[in-house]
Amino acid sequence: MRKSLFYGLLFTSPAILGFLIFTLGPMIASLVLSFTDYSVFKDRTSFIGFGNYVRMFSGANDYFYPSLGATFYFVVLRVPAVIVLSFLIALLLNMNVKGRAFFRTVVYLPSIVPAVASAMIWMWLLNPDLGLVNTLLNAVGLPGSLWLYGESSVVPAVVLTSLWGIGGTVIIFLAGLSGIPRQYYEAIDVDGGGWFSKLRHITVPLVSPTIFFNAIMTIIGSIQVFNEAYILTQGGPNNKSLFYVFYLWRTGFRDTEMGYASALAWVLFLVILFFTFIVFRTSKSWVYYEGEGR
Amino acid sequence: MRGIKTKVSGLILLLLLATTVLSACTRSGAQLGESSSDQGAANDDGDRITLRLAVWGAPDEVKPYKIAIEKFESEHPNIKVELQHIATDYDTKLTTMVAGNDVPDVAMMESGSIAYPLAEQGKFYNLQDFLADDPDINADSLVPNITYSLEKGNVIGIAPGPETFGLFYNEDAFKEAGAEPPPSNVSDAWTWDEFVDVAKQLTLDNQGRNAADPQFDPKNIKQYGVNLPSWWASYSNFVYSNGGDFISEDGKDFALNQPEAVEALQNLADLVNVHHVAPSPVQSKNIPATHVALQTKKVAMAIDGQWVSSSLAQSNFNFNVGVLPVMKEPQTTVVCAMFSMFKSTEHPEESWELIKALIDPESSIDMLTAGTWMPAELDWYTDPALLDRWTKDLPARPSGYQDAIIDVLLNHSHQTPTGYVKNFNKIMDVVTPALDKVWLGQQSAQEAMDGIADKAQAQVQGRRD
Repeated sequence: MRKSLFYGLLFTSPAILGFLIFTLGPMIASLVLSFTDYSVFKDRTSFIGFGNYVRMFSGANDYFYPSLGATFYFVVLRVPAVIVLSFLIALLLNMNVKGRAFFRTVVYLPSIVPAVASAMIWMWLLNPDLGLVNTLLNAVGLPGSLWLYGESSVVPAVVLTSLWGIGGTVIIFLAGLSGIPRQYYEAIDVDGGGWFSKLRHITVPLVSPTIFFNAIMTIIGSIQVFNEAYILTQGGPNNKSLFYVFYLWRTGFRDTEMGYASALAWVLFLVILFFTFIVFRTSKSWVYYEGEGR
Repeated sequence: MRGIKTKVSGLILLLLLATTVLSACTRSGAQLGESSSDQGAANDDGDRITLRLAVWGAPDEVKPYKIAIEKFESEHPNIKVELQHIATDYDTKLTTMVAGNDVPDVAMMESGSIAYPLAEQGKFYNLQDFLADDPDINADSLVPNITYSLEKGNVIGIAPGPETFGLFYNEDAFKEAGAEPPPSNVSDAWTWDEFVDVAKQLTLDNQGRNAADPQFDPKNIKQYGVNLPSWWASYSNFVYSNGGDFISEDGKDFALNQPEAVEALQNLADLVNVHHVAPSPVQSKNIPATHVALQTKKVAMAIDGQWVSSSLAQSNFNFNVGVLPVMKEPQTTVVCAMFSMFKSTEHPEESWELIKALIDPESSIDMLTAGTWMPAELDWYTDPALLDRWTKDLPARPSGYQDAIIDVLLNHSHQTPTGYVKNFNKIMDVVTPALDKVWLGQQSAQEAMDGIADKAQAQVQGRRD
């Protein structure tokens, strides 16, 4: 027994060590740094207590609240969109149609395109003057939009571009869907229900653990949005897409205020913790685990 | 038997783990060992030392550094230069090196980002001390405005060369429009109104009507008269030309909301929104790089840095360069990177020699003749033989170059705001988003600059000069 414990630890040691050295260690370090005025270039670093946090919440910094706002707006738009859309696509891909493998590949394909490459494509598509999207809208008589260059349209436009990469979420949904036993659907056929009853009473409850998992991962991923701001907008126009992590990065690496950036990171950690906690608490009422009985 | 097998495999695994962990340690260990053996060797056969140099740049820009290093090493056989070419995320990587106390001896630095924050913490040598005693170069033998100072008398970096702005244009576009091309001599420079008039003649809609035509359709422009200089370095030319500045002379006040600067900014915005001779920032996204834009006549004139000469020369069309239109005084902003020497270097004298080698125009002659760079040393402008070497009969140096670029650089140049405005980045974080609205015509320059004046003022920390 002890021996198996030893080997167990031995074989998992790369992962454990990796976590301790590259995740937990830096996290603790950044927690400590968040109470200092650490700037990489300064020789002397001193503890300033909650100074960084006070500066953040007092609004003395012009970018903290706007970046938080932009990020929440992004999360509120993106999370439902990702969950609903990827669930619907998974439903379609789960049907027994010809060329299913092909369609599955096509849906997943964007996820393996490098972020910069797809960003460039989106910049072309969403170009207000020459872009395909506006050209098509104009062709059917609809007004175009400034998309990434408009203050009010930039966040929705970024959400739109990010929806392109939902292949991973779709795959997880597909796995959940394929785990549903066929006889449940047969039972509905026997009882005389239609597709909606199947969806409402069989599919959704049985994949609810998958929905739950995807929701949590999407919320966390959306709060940490960075690439889009970095590549597509640089936080503009007029700081309307100054997402939190992008702002954090700018503070830490361009302005070299690492202490303040660490404090920002910890606030972000608490925000994510809070939302995850809420989703977990509500999950009892809507997530159904087989064998649990209700 | 099975027991032995597991034991063996367990041992092998442990060994593997140990080697990975240890190899991580040995790397730094080896470096330590090396440097100590270097020092040992130093005592034996003269000073054998290694200098570390960090640069960024495209491969053809790094080549001159390699040439300079080779020459330097052959002249100083006891010195080895270790070149670290950091192509992307330079500032982030250098910041990390600083955090790890592992900085190079000499590094290329960018005035708009981390150079001044580092200098303010006393991380750089004052190069003035070296310039003062050097037999070869001194402050007067360099082109104006290519050194950066933390304050008067404390030089933190020297550029390998200046870069200034000019009005590049497609000669054929002017012939087709029957317009007089931009003058190259500063004494004949266009006034702003003359410039706008010519730009109108050169702006064509898809029916071939120009912007002066009452029938002109600004919604369908095929060829713009000029590009929009919306980058701070580009529009700074005009702010200075109109007698304005980013901050006041005493360094106390934000000055882009003052009449001179506002007028200059408004004039530029009017190119887009009133005269329809320049693309808006949104339309600018469709305008390719300057050399392609001029070649394909997307724009007839382009306000851009002289470094575009190189790519223009490689495109096959008749381009030339004129002097920028003058609002009140002729001015061009000099922008440049710099070489700085870290305080932590153990070999300041040798590092200084390395900097000298790096800014020596002989090493970068390829970049000079190609058009990308200009030399740092004044001789190369005033001595006709040297001047000919990088300007005569070269595709990258068209007929207007001498007057429009070189003469203006020597007599009418202005330092880049990053070099004398403290906290420039933070001020521009406030200014740039506000200017977006001006270029888009949603606000007047006065409204936009007044709107952010208080926030910008809060970031003003004075001047360095």
